[in-house]
Amino acid sequence: MFINVMLVVRNLSIQYQNNQVLQGFELELAQGEIFALLGDSGSGKSSALHFIAGLDETHSGSVILDGELLSDNGQHQTPPESRGVGMVFQDYALFPHMNVEKNIAFGIDHQSKREQQIRVKELLFLVDLTGIERKYPHQLSGGEQQRVALARALAPAPKLLLLDESFSSLDQKHRETLAKQVRDVLKKTNTTAILVTHDKAEAVAFSDRYGIIKNQKLQEKK
Amino acid sequence: MALLVALPIFVVAFSWVLPKHELWAHFFENLLPSLIHSTVILLVGVGIGVTLLGTVLAYLVVMVEFPGRQWLEWALFLPFAIPAYVLAFVYLGVFDYSGYAQVWMREALGLPGFDIRSGSWAIILTFVLVFYPYVYMMARASFKRQKTNMIEAGKLLGASPIRVFFKISLPLARPAAAAGLLVTLMETLADFGVVSLFNYDTFTTAIYSAWGDFRSIEVAAQLASLLVLVAFFLIHFEKKARGQAKYYSTNVSNKKPYQAHGAVGWLIALFVFGVFMLSFAMPMLQLLIWGWGAVASEWSAKYFDLISSTAILTLSAVIITLMIATVLALPNRCKRGSIWLQSVIRLATLGYALPGSVMAVGLLYGINQISAVNIYFGGESINHIVFGSIALLLFAYVSRFMAIAYSSIEASAQQIKPVFTQSARLLGASRLKLVMQVYLPMITPGILAGGLLVAVDVMKELPATYLLRPFGWDTLAIQVYELSAEGLFERAAVPALIMVLFGSVLMLIFQVLDKHSSKGA
Amino acid sequence: MIKILIFSLLATSSIAAVSAISNDSVTVYSSRKEHLIKPLFDAFTKDTGIKVNYLTGKGGALIERLKLEGKNTKADMFMTVDAGNLWYTGSQGLFQAVQTQVLKNNIPNHLRDPEGLWTGLSVRARTLVYNTERVSPRDLSTYADLALPQWEGRLCLRTSKKIYTKSLVASLIYHHGEGKAGNIISGWVNNLAATPNAKDSHVMNAILSGQCDVGLVNTYYYGRLVEKKPNLPLKLFWANQDTTGVHVNISGAGVTKYAKNPKAAIRLLEWLSSAKAQAIYGALNKEYPANQSVAPDSVVSAWGSFKQDEMNLSQAGILQATAVKLMQKKGYR
Repeated sequence: MFINVMLVVRNLSIQYQNNQVLQGFELELAQGEIFALLGDSGSGKSSALHFIAGLDETHSGSVILDGELLSDNGQHQTPPESRGVGMVFQDYALFPHMNVEKNIAFGIDHQSKREQQIRVKELLFLVDLTGIERKYPHQLSGGEQQRVALARALAPAPKLLLLDESFSSLDQKHRETLAKQVRDVLKKTNTTAILVTHDKAEAVAFSDRYGIIKNQKLQEKK
Repeated sequence: MALLVALPIFVVAFSWVLPKHELWAHFFENLLPSLIHSTVILLVGVGIGVTLLGTVLAYLVVMVEFPGRQWLEWALFLPFAIPAYVLAFVYLGVFDYSGYAQVWMREALGLPGFDIRSGSWAIILTFVLVFYPYVYMMARASFKRQKTNMIEAGKLLGASPIRVFFKISLPLARPAAAAGLLVTLMETLADFGVVSLFNYDTFTTAIYSAWGDFRSIEVAAQLASLLVLVAFFLIHFEKKARGQAKYYSTNVSNKKPYQAHGAVGWLIALFVFGVFMLSFAMPMLQLLIWGWGAVASEWSAKYFDLISSTAILTLSAVIITLMIATVLALPNRCKRGSIWLQSVIRLATLGYALPGSVMAVGLLYGINQISAVNIYFGGESINHIVFGSIALLLFAYVSRFMAIAYSSIEASAQQIKPVFTQSARLLGASRLKLVMQVYLPMITPGILAGGLLVAVDVMKELPATYLLRPFGWDTLAIQVYELSAEGLFERAAVPALIMVLFGSVLMLIFQVLDKHSSKGA
Repeated sequence: MIKILIFSLLATSSIAAVSAISNDSVTVYSSRKEHLIKPLFDAFTKDTGIKVNYLTGKGGALIERLKLEGKNTKADMFMTVDAGNLWYTGSQGLFQAVQTQVLKNNIPNHLRDPEGLWTGLSVRARTLVYNTERVSPRDLSTYADLALPQWEGRLCLRTSKKIYTKSLVASLIYHHGEGKAGNIISGWVNNLAATPNAKDSHVMNAILSGQCDVGLVNTYYYGRLVEKKPNLPLKLFWANQDTTGVHVNISGAGVTKYAKNPKAAIRLLEWLSSAKAQAIYGALNKEYPANQSVAPDSVVSAWGSFKQDEMNLSQAGILQATAVKLMQKKGYR
């Protein structure tokens, strides 16, 4: 199979105030590849993710996604809203005032109502949550909220999906099941993804390839 | 306690047991139709205006980084310190036909002059510039509590900043903005100073006409009770607007989700600065020009008395109001089911919609009724003891300003998740410990905001203070009124400036406390 | 913070102690502003040793307070502006009759209540004011003539909600009857160049800036303006000189029915009518003294003398409600 390079990150450095936490971070991901980034808290792994998403401006490095230069040497060329990057947050960040359907359809509002409905149904089926369109986030369990958040992030068919400690607020049993479920969904949709986590077992099980940040450097493991 | 605070409301409501007055026919025929029409236009216009301006400004200072943001965030509170009628007075002086702005327009640009007091737009704009801080303040606090990752999620799903504002941030801030809007509308309903200067007729005009022109305190009270009814519905709708949604959030980050660079940043700065100029800097400049020449003749030792009276009344009123409002806002959460309690609290907060002097006279009539009962049972009238006592004046303040303290504290109490209560109780916390260590720290921002609002409002309050104060307890607001009513604007600027100075100091204290409390959270 | 609370509670009782009735003090409720009465009271205390406690407030509200305090009121004297207010206070039984020789000598009959319930202490005239660059005084004559079509779009008026407007319209009703007075008001409303102004000073500003050419003001507002800026193209015109005379109103005072110290209150009232007090009164506010032996302030004298409307001022009170209804009917805001 022809391998297409989807994401290139070059020379990413992260510093908090005057404290250098990550230096010369380099990463290349093929289309559909799932990568896990391990590290202790404060190692800069979450900040790296935010930088790739274009949410954080204070660092340096370049990001190329699907051949397009999104960030050039610390300068974001493309704002987060038009990068085609999706993200699933640790606490899901579902909009509490919108029901599940509205949450998922939020990123595809340029489509017709009919198309949106179909896409929402399709995604809910994919994450195994049919028939909860009218429910509000506070009526759902943690695992359900997480899967809705995943569906919402996948709705616009992002070129890259970022998962920021996405499973860490769930209990062990649900965590493993959900991680497997999400991996299946990503593989089915051939979505390129990065998971940030501090759990090595989760990283190994979820990803095709993973790396650990140690002493400000990325050490890759196969 | 809430029942006691609602005393003036009851007095006003009971006016209906009095016989109907022949005045009603005249009012129905000649006054009420046009008054109701103009009142509705005013409320709608002011409502839309303050909501838009207040939330947009709050959103900009909380969510966007632009040049000058840090000091503008605080400067936007300052118009609060200027009494509404002083601002209206300055605006008329500048923008009416004979004002500098129009003279310049006619002479330099050759444009035709116009009467800004005809129609409704000018008075609506004035009210918006005077009252936007209510919405701004509440919406700002709410935006600050919003999780930034909610906005980041919106951005990554492709939403533009404007869409994020309308679809995510604004709906989340709705309860707070609605509370600010409610306060604004009640203030607008109760206002007499600004509407008199513009000679714009509202419902309050009819109340004053019944009382002042036709000497019928009964019809005035009956009309006032209609005003209270309107306020009652407004509160009801506000509660409805809050709906069932439970917006709990924590995880506040200090990072601004948006950075406005270059021209956009400067445009935003220009807009925010423009609002600040119009609502504070320009009126202040005018007051300074007036006050500069008069300060030598106006300043005297008397001002030490004025200042200390104002300070003591303000502080006492703030403390009492906050204590009662906090107690009312807390059990309300636990006894959610008690309709009785909720209605009483609602009644206790209606005083805000009553014009100050109607409420003050209502209070006197209430005391008089108590005396009458007392005399009936062989006792003596208490009127002469209670009238003109500080206690009665403070009571009036509490009654009138309970609404702002309460709504501000309640908005913040809405953020307390039930799990906090549950977990604290499971950890064996007593009721007292629960209140002192869990509730109070969590609603501190609301208490601070409410306290500031009450302080500034008490400081500016005129009609009730004017009628109820004890001998020798003149305040700065009274001095401003007495001088400006006689056309001595230059001299009136001196006490007005002192008031603004005090207001600014209060704002400064609030800023320090606010920063402290948000660090602690 | 608790300290301040305690302090304020203590302050309440100490204030009560200060204002306790003593023989050498008199307590006044006044709707005249502090800066206009304090110099007078200070001079009175200096002359007689009697201390004056006073509480300023809005007229209507103070009357309600007096009523409710009843026989326990601390007020010995009530001082207010406008004959209508004085008449109403008297009609509510809040004043006691005071007929002393000193008052009779100092203040002419038509400025006093026939029963002696209240006494006028200063006279304010409400008359025409015009822009000298655009109006010839020959075109001016009466209040009623401002309703003529020639003044369409050239008239500025103060709001109908102000007591001075109400009293003036009451006098029109008194002289012309309700029907004709109604026509005059309609004519005025029709001729307005702008929404009626909140203040007389705004009316004069509007005339100076060219928004309108003629208006109605109390003379002392004009006096204060020309004192600061003497060369304005603005002049007073004495209305109705060939007919009923210029409408005048008064500020005045009465001794309250339940005064604790009526002697001191009467003494204060007499003193206020004296030549010395009347001169201070006139100079402070550019009003006309009620005591005819006192010449007006020099600024005021310069406007010349005029014929006054001799309508008994109680009429302003009696007809006030009718006047307001009429203005509300005719859409005079």
